[in-house]
Amino acid sequence: MSCVQTKYFGLLEYREDAVFEFPGGLPAFENEQRFVLIESPRYGPLVFLQSLETSSLCFLALPIQVLDRNYRLAMGSEDLKTLGLDSKRQPELGNEVVVLGLVSVQEDEPATANLMAPLVMNLKNRRALQAIREDSLYSHQHPIEQRGMEGGAC
Amino acid sequence: MLVLGRRTGESLLIGDDIEIELLAVSAQGAKIGIRAPRETVILRKELKITQLQNESAARGPAVSELERALAKLQG
Repeated sequence: MSCVQTKYFGLLEYREDAVFEFPGGLPAFENEQRFVLIESPRYGPLVFLQSLETSSLCFLALPIQVLDRNYRLAMGSEDLKTLGLDSKRQPELGNEVVVLGLVSVQEDEPATANLMAPLVMNLKNRRALQAIREDSLYSHQHPIEQRGMEGGAC
Repeated sequence: MLVLGRRTGESLLIGDDIEIELLAVSAQGAKIGIRAPRETVILRKELKITQLQNESAARGPAVSELERALAKLQG
């Protein structure tokens, strides 16, 4: 077991096999390549993506199906290869990959989630990346409907 | 926005040292070639938007503000 000082939950223990590797980091955070996902019943379905490099960096995120139950991935073949996935088809949500929308909560503004660039995390090899869509089907500032937060359909 | 029609193989110039050439057009989209000085930053707009959105997401609520921010989220 290793320990990480987290932004919101103090000192937490984690197993190495729980770490998600982002080989290229995230846009604007290219050096942040190792994260753990923190789930807490108290805050579900919200999850926390804590950086292992920087204690003060912890993203809030929601499962993509909670944000839009009909969400369809459109990953490019390069992104699929980076994650070690079949590059000829889209991966199955929940089965092969966990897909999250990063949440922005700013003072005096409604909370939004980025559906244009979801985080895709391969459950088998724990590799992950932010898959920027090339179509314009989804917003980078998707309003979070409070009704959709109930029930926590992860 | 200035709108110009261009055929495959035709270019346009921005300032003295940036050239944009339309290389190919297909049902999937257009292929564009860019000649510019090495120091010119060229990004797909979606990437820039994602960078800005990630910076905004990373500013997240402070620890002391988490409960209040989440109350707002959870309605």
